[in-house]
Amino acid sequence: MGVAASLTNSTAAGAAAAERKPARFALARRTILTPVLLSLLLLAIALITVMTGSRPFNQTVIDVFVRVILVVGLYIFIGNSGVLSFGHIGFTCLGAYAAAWLTINPMMKRGSLPGLPEWLLATRLPYWQSAVLAALFAALAALIFGRVLMRLSGIAASIATFAMLAMINTIYSNWESVTGATSSVVGIPIVRMIWPYLIGAVVAIFIAWAHAISRSGLALRAARDEPTAAAASGIDIPRERLVAFVVSGAVMGLGGALMAHSIGVVTPDTFYLGLTFITLSMLVVGGMGSLSGGVVGVVLLSALIQALRWLEAGVSLGESTFALPKGVQEIALGVIMIVILALRPSGLMGNRELTLPRSSRNK
Amino acid sequence: MSLLALSDITIRYSRLTAVRNVSFSMEEGEILFITGPNGAGKSSLLRAIAGVTPVAGGRIDLAGHEITGQAPENIARLGLSMVPEGRDVFGSLTTEENLLVGTGMHARERGWRSRAADELEAVYATFPMLKERRHGQAGLLSGGQQQMLVIGRALMTNPRLVAIDEPSLGLAPNINDQVYERLIALRAQRQLTLLIVEQSSARAMMVGGRMILMRGGQIVLDGDARTLGNGEAIQAAYFGYEDH
Amino acid sequence: MLQILFDALSLGSLYALGALGIALIFGVMRLVNFAHGDVIAFCVFALLWPSTDAMAIVFAGQLPWYLLVPFVLLCGAGLSVLCEVVVFRRFRQANPATMMIASFALGFVIRYFLLMLFSSRPKSISLLPELSQPVEILGARLPLLQLITIVATMVILIGLTLFLRQTRFGLEMRAAAENFSMARMLGVRANRVIMGAFALSGALAAAIALIFGAQTGTLDIQMGASIMLMAFIATVIGGLGSLGGAVLAGFLLGAASVIMQVMLPIDARPFRDAFVYGAVILVLLFRPQGLIAARGTKERV
Repeated sequence: MGVAASLTNSTAAGAAAAERKPARFALARRTILTPVLLSLLLLAIALITVMTGSRPFNQTVIDVFVRVILVVGLYIFIGNSGVLSFGHIGFTCLGAYAAAWLTINPMMKRGSLPGLPEWLLATRLPYWQSAVLAALFAALAALIFGRVLMRLSGIAASIATFAMLAMINTIYSNWESVTGATSSVVGIPIVRMIWPYLIGAVVAIFIAWAHAISRSGLALRAARDEPTAAAASGIDIPRERLVAFVVSGAVMGLGGALMAHSIGVVTPDTFYLGLTFITLSMLVVGGMGSLSGGVVGVVLLSALIQALRWLEAGVSLGESTFALPKGVQEIALGVIMIVILALRPSGLMGNRELTLPRSSRNK
Repeated sequence: MSLLALSDITIRYSRLTAVRNVSFSMEEGEILFITGPNGAGKSSLLRAIAGVTPVAGGRIDLAGHEITGQAPENIARLGLSMVPEGRDVFGSLTTEENLLVGTGMHARERGWRSRAADELEAVYATFPMLKERRHGQAGLLSGGQQQMLVIGRALMTNPRLVAIDEPSLGLAPNINDQVYERLIALRAQRQLTLLIVEQSSARAMMVGGRMILMRGGQIVLDGDARTLGNGEAIQAAYFGYEDH
Repeated sequence: MLQILFDALSLGSLYALGALGIALIFGVMRLVNFAHGDVIAFCVFALLWPSTDAMAIVFAGQLPWYLLVPFVLLCGAGLSVLCEVVVFRRFRQANPATMMIASFALGFVIRYFLLMLFSSRPKSISLLPELSQPVEILGARLPLLQLITIVATMVILIGLTLFLRQTRFGLEMRAAAENFSMARMLGVRANRVIMGAFALSGALAAAIALIFGAQTGTLDIQMGASIMLMAFIATVIGGLGSLGGAVLAGFLLGAASVIMQVMLPIDARPFRDAFVYGAVILVLLFRPQGLIAARGTKERV
């Protein structure tokens, strides 16, 4: 219970008292366990993967880490503001293509993406630099879109983000000379090591934590729970939303860049409704209002998807092989999600955060 | 047997207890005012009777049927007609459509259409103003007219018990007088059983009948409105002096 | 010129029907139903016999039109009601985000169920081929189908309006859409009204499936999705829950798409939809409640 309760309890007071340094430190100390525990969880998964030494398993875990980044990015905006966004995968798309522009061999780029500006055509950066730049690029886009979109709220805001996603997708699907339109952009250097992805996920988790305990994050959560009271106490809701939008846009961009490096190919439709659906589902199933919920949702649903895939591929039980027909995996996933949501409408974690039992007694 | 009986009703909103162990009953033909300050739990009680707010404990009976936990539409079918706070007209529907919404629940019975038409004429006879505006949008009526409309709407289904939540809310005093004049006339004419929630007990004293005074989710006084009204007990009860 | 008008009207018809299906359900349940597009896809594939072969085996598509149309409408209504009884009924108390995701998940299930039965290959079918002949009106040659699309949409809209205005069930539905709990206190049965809304919405999805199937001649699992995105947007621009607004916004979006297709410079045409989405964001900025704000959509107590 600990952290979430103390976070929400302290929001009203926190926003006001946040100027005072000691209060901030106390808050940080009380809540730091959550990101540390989540990171340790991911580290444990990474270590197990490296020890098994299996290539396909390695790739699966890389996918999990990429999704952790994306879902944590979603949490930063959706969890703190309470506004459902369908558009964040658009920033992932921007990040992925930015990484492609920055890392593909210039010779290949001249052939496949002739419309890029000369300086970009000549550039070739290592993947980690491209990932940082991709995150910045996505953040810039989030700032521009956010300036307009954050004035909306409720379902209008959700649909407007949807329109934003569709807009980005339409542009990237048609701008032949710069994005290769609907054909795949190939030649992105593939990074097969697990560590960069782990670092990316951990960085995302700590960014989310830092934002959540920042003055802006506290104010935003206060506004989510008590919009009238928050507005009356001088919280500029659109501004705090914009901050969250930009931070989450950066994390989504980072995730997009790493995703591009994990598969080596990008197409606009990789970053459209399918990915939006799966990442949002992971967040909602885990618990929209909690950082731990997002991470737990990714790990559990990914494990579920993987288990169903194995079943689809066939499992030998003694003499006979047992295999599920194709398509059952997705159907089962959908059904399980509906059941989880029906039983726990606020997700597996609700609004709670992962922490040690000790800290709740300390409170 | 009582028309309406509440026993040991408790209502909670997450951790807040709005109504605590309230019991009372009312007979056919009675007029009962429930009064008390803001937050006394009057409206919660009414909404629980109508089936809109779930109860945390206790039992409610209407006309010989237990209705605790029943759906609002089933309670309405047993003869409860509710006029909620804030009037709740269907603003995009016409006045006449508003009146007709509830008549559908008797659609299984023979001759319901002609009975609905009769009721409509009866309501128009009581509130001629509604007839004038019958094809106009209900959302464009004035506050007093909307109050008349929802009272008329509640009568359309020939209910055994009419429950009204704060009919005075947001109305000018003279309009409010008119509303009550009609209510009293209607009651005499149709032998209505009325359950009315009001914040102030002044109206109850004027109209007469039985009055229950609530505070902090509990009943503090129950008796004849006029006798209660004259005593000092009511002031003490309303403002809670006896605590000190 | 006439051609442009008819293009706009027929595209707008599809959007309007889609938006209406979403608005009906939103009105009574405050649910943004993402499974609607998959109901459309389901109706489309109801024309075929399940098979993963590239060659389509026509099933209901062979029926004469007077059997075909009711059959497909029933399929849509049936599936939609099934969705409500099996899934959405359990989410009545849930918050809108949870409901949206649940509908998303349900759509996912329907889609993959269809993929399992039919594979992802687009299949060609000639549905009511006699409708693709052109007719000449006022000197313009128009496909008969386009004309029928527009006429059918008008008939559906008028029929629906009459149903909502003149029947008892329609009255109950309008009352419930505006103030659900008040309607229940007046004896309106919640389950019946919600099931009625789902049935109507499913039938509208089926109508889209028929029109679309006849227009394109190819059946594709993605068909529902492309219309639905615009239909959602139309629902929101129209003012969520406002049926008239949904229809109006559907036609406006259709008109905007067609006009931009004509007016934009050749280079910019592939980006037409991006301009449409941009216009949508602008409209929302100026009218976040939609063009026709529905009453009582704020909150359902």
